[in-house]
Amino acid sequence: MQKTSSKAAPGLVVVEDDGGRITLDGVLNIRTLDEVRASLGVWVKKRKTHVLDLGKLDGLDTSGALFLCELRDKHVELAGISAEHEQLLEMICALDRKPLVKPESMPRWRQFIVQLGKGVDDIGRDTYDVIVFVARGVNALLYALIHPSTLRPASISAQISETGIKALPIVGLMAIMISIVIGYQGLVQLRPYGGDDFMINLVAVSMLREMGVLITAIMVAGRSGSAFAAEIGVMKAMEEIDALEVMGLGAMELLVVPRLIAIMITLPLLTFFADIMGLVGGAMISQSQLGIAPLPYIDRVRLAIDMSDLFVGLIKAPIFAFFIGIVGCMHGLRVRGSAESVGRETTRAVVKAIFLVIIFDALFSVLFERLGL
Amino acid sequence: MSTSKRKPSEVILSAHGIVNRFGKQVVHDKLDLEVRSGEILGIAGGSGSGKSVLLKTLVGLHRPDSGKILLNNKAIETISPGEKAALIGVLFQQGALFSSLSVAQNVMLPMREHTDLPVSEQEKLAAVKLELAGLPADSAMKFPAQLSGGMVKRAALARALALDPRILFLDEPTSDLDSLTAGGIDELILKLNRGLGITVVIVTHDLNTLFNICDRVAMLVDKKIVVDTVDKLLHSKDSWIHELLHSPRAMGAIHERKSGHGIG
Repeated sequence: MQKTSSKAAPGLVVVEDDGGRITLDGVLNIRTLDEVRASLGVWVKKRKTHVLDLGKLDGLDTSGALFLCELRDKHVELAGISAEHEQLLEMICALDRKPLVKPESMPRWRQFIVQLGKGVDDIGRDTYDVIVFVARGVNALLYALIHPSTLRPASISAQISETGIKALPIVGLMAIMISIVIGYQGLVQLRPYGGDDFMINLVAVSMLREMGVLITAIMVAGRSGSAFAAEIGVMKAMEEIDALEVMGLGAMELLVVPRLIAIMITLPLLTFFADIMGLVGGAMISQSQLGIAPLPYIDRVRLAIDMSDLFVGLIKAPIFAFFIGIVGCMHGLRVRGSAESVGRETTRAVVKAIFLVIIFDALFSVLFERLGL
Repeated sequence: MSTSKRKPSEVILSAHGIVNRFGKQVVHDKLDLEVRSGEILGIAGGSGSGKSVLLKTLVGLHRPDSGKILLNNKAIETISPGEKAALIGVLFQQGALFSSLSVAQNVMLPMREHTDLPVSEQEKLAAVKLELAGLPADSAMKFPAQLSGGMVKRAALARALALDPRILFLDEPTSDLDSLTAGGIDELILKLNRGLGITVVIVTHDLNTLFNICDRVAMLVDKKIVVDTVDKLLHSKDSWIHELLHSPRAMGAIHERKSGHGIG
């Protein structure tokens, strides 16, 4: 008889064929199962009477036992099995061994439509939530301002330190970098017209009116909006918000209002700081590329801009701050149960905050254009 | 209990001279422990006695300040990740199921990573493991967040069993569960131990678990460990062990065992 079998690596199963009887030798487990199945598959098809001798089997695990159960169901006789293996085999064979329940699969086009519907529904709900929460935020904020005794100075100052002072280095660095980028790009475009000097106007006006506040708002949305969502989200997941509620303390008053006030104070200040640093960046590039020293540079900047440019930038900051704060807190309070939803809500808070910042920036641009500012 | 029938078997895991300290606080001081193949060993101790640290040390997640762990006569840090996965299964206290995967995918993950089995086979095996762990068939496609506490433990147990490990480590398997569910988990552990011949190490507070299913109990007392059968520990001279095993709760557990409501 030919040998139907296999590479006999140590510890692996050897399958020997002599007549209608096959002997398994070695270990039948999750690692050797594939090999055994391949060898036995041929054998089961070829012959009519089957006896599988397990007398030499050293090891058996649940996957092996499952395989043997299936063979037994196909009327293969299992012989010479040891008591220990028998016990395992009986335990596995006694199970129902139902196939894994799988979710019903849906055709792609239907999935697409379902997703689309869910997406639209989500946008609707989100918009509703934002509007409601903005109203609640404004309400709580006004209440706190009318009743200053309910303000929490310690909490507000802690948040100012966290969202403002600690953000100074990164905001300053970003402002310098952005103004250098704008300066370089402007220089390349203006040089053919001999208008090199107007690079200074370009940097000063774009930093003060747009880039300063936008860069700062995006940075703060990433830094503090996410922190609000994560901090409040963890408190929500650990039932701390519920604990506050039971003690008769509102999350709005205790957590949301101090954060809103803090961020509405710090974002304008940070924006002003970013404006200054942007002008410093402009000074650096005009020194190196145009050979204009800092003092003449300041004179040029004075000619290029007036106060309205500065205020157009700064006036937007508290409004951006309000939306960053409100969206961060809203998503924090939307956390449900598990820790994974904290991560999801934090991501959403940042995305939505930056989205709102840019939408409002566009609206302001149109508004200021109409007002002739 | 069937311990008496079993032959004294070889040591599968041993800890020698384990010292763990955090800052100046010494948690374990030259602690020795042997786990025998096929037994159910309970590890108990007061809060802060370093049970969980010991468990992490035993499975190689925490490197002790000195001492060594031998798994299958090999130093645990020299064992390759694949080999270790085939030797050790761990049920973490909170289940540690991957929340982005369904229960079935959780069970299939180690199979997918460590074996070459076709997906259809993995699914069949996963279904068997889930059934062994006592989960209904429709739970396979659920996500961990949709499961109750007891079901999380069962699903995590099914995942720990995915590669048929030689040793199963359970960290507080019955904590946070009502006593009926906890009893069910105890029964399941016993069934897996007897049926699959798997060695089980349980870190637990649950006196019922200690009395009903553990062959031997290791008590962490004064940075050392005292190992014996629970019946002998009942006569221990150590005041903490004495107090624990003669507390009203322990009396309840003993009573339950004697009256035959216990398992085993």
